Amino acid sequence: MGLAMTGWLAGKHIWIEGSSPAIAAACRAAGATLTSDGDLDVWVHVVAVGAAKPAHEIAHAEWRASLGAGLDRRFLGAKSFADACRARGVGGAVLFVGAPEQALGADQAAAAGALGNLTKTLGVEWARDGIRVNCILTREDGATLGNLAAYLASDYAAYVTGAVIGIALDD
Amino acid sequence: MLVTGGGSGMGLAMAKAFAQGGARVAVMGRSIERAEEGAAQIAALGARTHAMSCDVRSPEAVAQAFDEAEAVLGPVSLLANNAGANFPVLAENISPNAWAAVTRIAIDGTFLCSAEFARRRIARGEGGAIVNNSAQYIWTGFPGDAHSAAAKTAQATMTRKLAADWAPHGIRVNAVAAGFFPHADSVSGRRDDGIEPLQAMIPAGRTGSIWEFGWLSAMTCTPLFDDMTGQVIVQDGGESLRRSLMMPDFVPPRERVDGPWGWQ
Repeated sequence: MGLAMTGWLAGKHIWIEGSSPAIAAACRAAGATLTSDGDLDVWVHVVAVGAAKPAHEIAHAEWRASLGAGLDRRFLGAKSFADACRARGVGGAVLFVGAPEQALGADQAAAAGALGNLTKTLGVEWARDGIRVNCILTREDGATLGNLAAYLASDYAAYVTGAVIGIALDD
Repeated sequence: MLVTGGGSGMGLAMAKAFAQGGARVAVMGRSIERAEEGAAQIAALGARTHAMSCDVRSPEAVAQAFDEAEAVLGPVSLLANNAGANFPVLAENISPNAWAAVTRIAIDGTFLCSAEFARRRIARGEGGAIVNNSAQYIWTGFPGDAHSAAAKTAQATMTRKLAADWAPHGIRVNAVAAGFFPHADSVSGRRDDGIEPLQAMIPAGRTGSIWEFGWLSAMTCTPLFDDMTGQVIVQDGGESLRRSLMMPDFVPPRERVDGPWGWQ
């Protein structure tokens, strides 16, 4: 089956905070405008899969940095995005992207677990605002990640919210 | 591609989405009449299709159906396991026959069709993709529907293991944990007072549209999701998630005046 997602994100303004070339490419190919300015329809927050250390070697500052990027910034960013959507009277989509719970160290285990249940919680709290909240936890960074993110950002996924999704077998 | 239980409802929605993507579609059903009705709708989309009757609980019947599908349409490279039955009933009222019917169509049927599919793909030295129709209540239990609670969870948990077993052969296996997608043949689609009460109970504010389910199911089998396997994707508008710390007073299913599901 040959399929392309041409036009799936036409007219949508998407801010991809953090780096994912695959997600950026897929969103552009689907017609999205990537920007961090102005009115946004979709906020994607990516934390790259980093190195892992045994728990007893993680300094508190490292722990805090990991939780800050992997959890705190995500919550506060989603909150701001949702506030802006409500102020404009429009719906939107939030997508968190990061490593699986057990892929790295204890810092990631804590952050990703918290993030998963936060995804489910915000998905329900903001459902009637038309704001969807989903999460991809994976080690993958290729085309499937991009296409899955583009799907979740699109209106074709209008009935998907509060979902935590992996890609590879061990995600 | 081949879809089990493809003559109506969610299976037909899957079949149509695959057809829209350009696939040739073999429609398998218990009833040949229903399979033919579904196939006629798929043919109307311009896709090549073939209707077959098959009891997915019989390995011999499954092998014969694959032979027939491949003779007419060519090798089957994608499989959608949808065949299933479901009806509200208190656990104490589930007869051994009813238990066997619901659990074996979904559990044995998904296994037998998937294994038949995989053996043929491995013999050809080619990969493939499978999507299983699971349900949003697999993580919570489903009081008033014990047979389906067990059956749908088995489909989801075997998804992960089948994916692991067949990853070396390039066969991907994923599942959609579906919420309410009312259609003419579903319990929720046959209510006298319509689906409005269902819409109100769901965080998203509506039930799902059957084509949304079809699209996602088909997408997991396309090259767009080439690296995805072993995943169970929930698509339910938030329906399976908790609404609040506080819950309504508990009413045992047998004491609900409006039936085991609470509204039927």
